[in-house]
Amino acid sequence: MNKAAVVRCPVLVLLALSGAVPALAQTPAVGSWREEVRRLRDAPIVLPARGGAKTGKYGFAPRLAARRPTNASVAATIAESEPNDSVRTADSVALGDQATGVVNPAGDVDTWFVDLTAGQFLSVDVDAAQVGSSLDPTLTLLAPDGTTRLAFNDDFDGLDSRISFRVPTSGRYYVVIRAFGGPGTGGPGLTYAINFGTVTCAAVGTEREPNGNPGTASPVAIGTDGSGEICSADSSPVGDVDYWAFTAQAGTTIELDVAAARLGLLVDPFIALFASDGTTRLTFNDDDVTPDPRLQYSIIATGTYYAAVSTLADPGGNPFPYTLHVRLAAQGPGDPITVLAENLGQPTGLAVGSTGDLFASDFTGHRVVRVSGQGVVTTFATGIPIPQGLAFDGFGHLLVASGDGAVYRVTPQGQATRFITDAGFPVGVAVALDGRIWLTDLSDRSLRRYSRTGQFEARFDVIAVGGFGPSALAIGPSGEPYFSNGFEIWKLANGQPERVLRNLSLIGAFAFDVAGNIYATSPVAGSIKLFDPTGTVLADPFSVGPDAPKAVAFGRDGTGATVARLFATDPRVGRLIEMNPAGVALRGLPVGQVPPPFTLDAAAAGLLGGASLSAADLQYLDALGNHNGRYDVGDFQAYLRSVGGLPVAAAMATAQPRPGSDR
Amino acid sequence: MSRLRWTFAMVAALSVGAACSYEPTGGAPRAGTLRLRLTTPHADDGAMLFDVNGPPIDSAMAVNSSLRLFTRRAGGSTVVGAVVGVLANGAVVTLQVPDVGAAAGYTARVLEVADRQNALRASLAGYALTVAP
Repeated sequence: MNKAAVVRCPVLVLLALSGAVPALAQTPAVGSWREEVRRLRDAPIVLPARGGAKTGKYGFAPRLAARRPTNASVAATIAESEPNDSVRTADSVALGDQATGVVNPAGDVDTWFVDLTAGQFLSVDVDAAQVGSSLDPTLTLLAPDGTTRLAFNDDFDGLDSRISFRVPTSGRYYVVIRAFGGPGTGGPGLTYAINFGTVTCAAVGTEREPNGNPGTASPVAIGTDGSGEICSADSSPVGDVDYWAFTAQAGTTIELDVAAARLGLLVDPFIALFASDGTTRLTFNDDDVTPDPRLQYSIIATGTYYAAVSTLADPGGNPFPYTLHVRLAAQGPGDPITVLAENLGQPTGLAVGSTGDLFASDFTGHRVVRVSGQGVVTTFATGIPIPQGLAFDGFGHLLVASGDGAVYRVTPQGQATRFITDAGFPVGVAVALDGRIWLTDLSDRSLRRYSRTGQFEARFDVIAVGGFGPSALAIGPSGEPYFSNGFEIWKLANGQPERVLRNLSLIGAFAFDVAGNIYATSPVAGSIKLFDPTGTVLADPFSVGPDAPKAVAFGRDGTGATVARLFATDPRVGRLIEMNPAGVALRGLPVGQVPPPFTLDAAAAGLLGGASLSAADLQYLDALGNHNGRYDVGDFQAYLRSVGGLPVAAAMATAQPRPGSDR
Repeated sequence: MSRLRWTFAMVAALSVGAACSYEPTGGAPRAGTLRLRLTTPHADDGAMLFDVNGPPIDSAMAVNSSLRLFTRRAGGSTVVGAVVGVLANGAVVTLQVPDVGAAAGYTARVLEVADRQNALRASLAGYALTVAP
């Protein structure tokens, strides 16, 4: 063993996390992993033994000087000995030692070996960038054969790497450190220290290990926090799972929010919520706006529920601390929600039929389900790959945007055929008052318009609006298509996109009421927000009942008229839900092609100065046509088209691409 | 032939000739068809609102199946109409009138025009309607 230097100089490292997490602010138990890391980090770092390019000072000495003394220390500090760029020339180190070196010259690779016993939970922790070095390291752990890669880590503690790995067999293991950035990276400033040790899992914070199942769950009350550490104490393939038990009341919406990555570690926790039986998983989340998970869930029955915190990204790997916040979500006028149907797979799109039945696209089930007003679920159509947006056309067919690049048309009997096939990746679909079909096409970031019978008419490029869309799509009160680009809603006015509103959270879908107010879902925030037609927030949240709402639509009665009932899909939990109707002030804007409430003769007479049409009729006609604020001959032409009254030659002439579109 | 008989013969011949003339120069009205002809500066007109004033009109119809006509009688001397379809320069509507000889008495106006995408023309400059046999 090449131990060039041994220094024992206890200092206290002020870990970035310690002040942020209550559990970590406590004095670690003797022998805990955290103490081990602190002890390793407390040791002063010596320079590499040899001169030349590898000699020099580490840039973080002043930081070390600021550390408070402690009684922890490393066993030995080992400077690298070049050449050590392969397993054959690897430098030796033992558990408890600190290895030091420099990645220099460019492309340098330093290899270390350590002898381990089966079952040991190895910790290899780099201090470099975090303490002032220019090195952004990567670590690789190789098996005793010298070639099999067991683990890899780039960033854990900021840019610094760490690997925690439980070795399955006794033998010699190799640790390889490189500079991130490829073979051209290296230099005298790229110094590092590697702390070799073992992970010791111990209960920290308010968790009470063992708590790996509902029966041993640690208690936590709503309105308080639980804190603990994900640290795999055994070789379980799922790693450590911490269960927390709490009691929740029916009619409330609880929020579970895990803080770990936001504390500064590059970790990826996961959370799941289980029902009172401890086995039925109600919902889960991996990532919110950061790798930290967050979820909301509306409690239907009072009882004990279980939150399980774990990690899917690196089970059995690097331990990390976390705080679980258990809160009641502040409710809005649309709360509490009611669950109309469950077990719908992953319902993504939503449309309401003319008799009031709801239709939801099951994203992963490749089908469309029909849900009656009483919540009876039947499969309506199958064999539609990755179905997303839904809308009914002017003939009563259901249009389904599919991930296979087509829009399917489904007859009332449930027969599905590929209908529109020239769009690349249709996501949203909507039918205007005149029966024309609109699509959002993610493949070329455009809106596309088709005739009632599916003939392509025009394409509108919306790349310029930026964001991630276009995705969600709905026809606004003036007959113009509105679409989302992620965080914003835009409308296409006279062929030009105009921004309507900007939201702080990703928009899943939106629907209009008759006044033009916009109900927008936020799957990430787990809420629905209400905006007025100008984009001013009217209610935030309108509802927090949904876990991760996606599609949203107003209900219709048996005559096809929209009503003041708002429904949404919740793909994360497979539900179709209804917001509290007492909070829905106005009925929905009619969707799809709506049969006009007057005859052709009346429409003609209204134009020619004869029979007087109501203000609503005139507004309807204007919305059908050029929406210039009055009923004119252009609107009458649009009306004729919508009722199939145009001469054939005129209808065909109209189907030609509109000047100004780029196709 | 005496001067008196020659004069009588000429008057008689002129009278017969006048009675056999095609033009009703002050004679009985003759029912027939007139055409409403459009002059347009655009090639993509889809709908037009118009009116025709003047002598009576018995009926109106579109000149061919690529057009559809809607009319309403607005008072005794005015007909308002909307013709929708593939509009182009030339006849768009035929008018059945009780007296084709009164063609010059009709005036027709273009009130509104929309293109085939329903957009209303902002200007009617260059448009004209004429009524003629």
